[in-house]
Amino acid sequence: MIDLSIRLALQPFSLEVELALAGRVTAVLGPSGSGKTSLLEIIAGLRRAEGRATLDGVTFLDSERGIRLAPERRQIGYVPQEPALFPHLDVSENIRYGVRARSDASTRRVTETCALLEIGELVTRYPHTLSGGEAQRVALARALVTQPRLLLLDEPLAALDAELRHRILPYLMRVRDEAKIPMIYVTHHVGEALALADEAVLLRAGRVEATGPVRYVLTPKLVTSVRHDATFENIVHGVIIAVDDDAGTAMLAPLTAVSRERAPEATPLTVPGGHGLRAGSPATYRVRSEDVLLLRGAPVGISARNVFPARVVGVETLRTDVLVRLASSALEWRALVTAAAVRELEIVTGSELFVAIKTHSFERLG
Amino acid sequence: MAVVSKMIEADDLSILGLSLEVALTATLAILPIGIALAWLLAGWRGQGRVLVESILTLPLVLPPTAIGIVLLTLLSKHHALGRVLSDVGIEIMFTWKAAVLASAVMSLPLLVRSARTAFEEIDPRLLGVARTLGDGPLRVFRRVALPLAWRGIAAGVLLSFCRALGEFGATILIAGNIPGRTQTLALAIFHRSQVGRDGDALRLVALVCFVALAAVYATERLGHRRGAAPSAT
Repeated sequence: MIDLSIRLALQPFSLEVELALAGRVTAVLGPSGSGKTSLLEIIAGLRRAEGRATLDGVTFLDSERGIRLAPERRQIGYVPQEPALFPHLDVSENIRYGVRARSDASTRRVTETCALLEIGELVTRYPHTLSGGEAQRVALARALVTQPRLLLLDEPLAALDAELRHRILPYLMRVRDEAKIPMIYVTHHVGEALALADEAVLLRAGRVEATGPVRYVLTPKLVTSVRHDATFENIVHGVIIAVDDDAGTAMLAPLTAVSRERAPEATPLTVPGGHGLRAGSPATYRVRSEDVLLLRGAPVGISARNVFPARVVGVETLRTDVLVRLASSALEWRALVTAAAVRELEIVTGSELFVAIKTHSFERLG
Repeated sequence: MAVVSKMIEADDLSILGLSLEVALTATLAILPIGIALAWLLAGWRGQGRVLVESILTLPLVLPPTAIGIVLLTLLSKHHALGRVLSDVGIEIMFTWKAAVLASAVMSLPLLVRSARTAFEEIDPRLLGVARTLGDGPLRVFRRVALPLAWRGIAAGVLLSFCRALGEFGATILIAGNIPGRTQTLALAIFHRSQVGRDGDALRLVALVCFVALAAVYATERLGHRRGAAPSAT
């Protein structure tokens, strides 16, 4: 639980943020220069600001009472946008930098963290020999082994190309699920936010534009108002219930977006099979909104493996296209279609349609 | 070797020995002060920084005799500082300590400037991240700043040492030119040339050239390796 009431004069605006965050992972989105990085630096104690801030009831900033806890006493981990590894130390020394007393427990923690992030083989290397993704994971490990009470991540995937981005995201999801450290995650990628976060904050010019559960905050209208180049993806969390190695597919029982519980009446989805998929294992997939097909009636003889009925709950025009939001047994889907298609199919809020998604439109994130 | 030893007289070697002793002591004396000043200046964001830096640079640009006369005044028995030192039994004027003091004051700016640049080249995010990992400012200095800046500091130390070795103007004013006690290389060259022993003076020039060349060469090597080092992130 983190409570913030912070003011800081910046150019060309001032940062004024009032927030109460209870989520495990809070995504902070906003245009470049909206104050996202400054906000993290203030929370970490690396930038002075006026106001109050408490973490789990412990006050670490109260400018009126003259309380300004030094960064080293806040127990808040910080991973900046560039990994900022210490160039004179090898990977092992980097990871152990914040470990005070060498003990069996701390050694075990380092080993476990290296295993979690799959960097055990890098320990003798020096930072300049690491790839971007490796350096990012080492920076994450370095913060994690200090067992911070809160982890601040500043666009950890921004410097990576799209391919690498999708390889790192699963590690972040593991950190969320296994290390169980609350995170504040700055990103400008809606897909990442939907995959990782349960709460979201939209910042614009130093002010909080919206805050709350991620599904409610990251509505297309709000997000495009902040980022013109935003893309809309469907993120499906679920549990694998069957694997068909011969067909190269697996069945996924989806979880509801809001409560993350099994959606009992939702049709299982056919997704691509792959390494490490076992019945019972949790999995997260991404489907681009352009890849969700809408049909007026139940189709006959269609190659797409996932076809189910859905009701339109929202129609929003974005630039030249239309984003249609659909509800289907506690799941929400977003389909990006042309304005002409909307006219032809007479799509309005309340329309009953069928949704079709090809197996290979599901891309595994973690 | 026999030829060399014939060419160099015992006198030359004792002058060289004294000069090295003075320059080395002066450099060691300013090392902690210089590094501390450089670190404070590098992290100082407030006003007044430029003024303090300018004042610290003065010995580099003023005539050394000007610095010498200021030191002479401060250390004289007519001045409070001189009286206090004399009361506790510390004699500085016209001893080798005066030569050390003059060299130290004159070479401090070189060390501060080199070390400050080296500290400023460190990615500030490294220092910030080290704080969030539990280190206070002093530990960050020792574990991150010093190891990353050491080449620049070492280069500054070598330059300061060379400057101390060649110090003349301030030294002659407060240390005098006493053979065997305060007569360093620079003073001896001047003295020999004044009394018409140009050949003897040139032998000293050759000696000091050799030492200075070695130091400057080492400085350049440090600079090159620093340039070739992997970037900070």
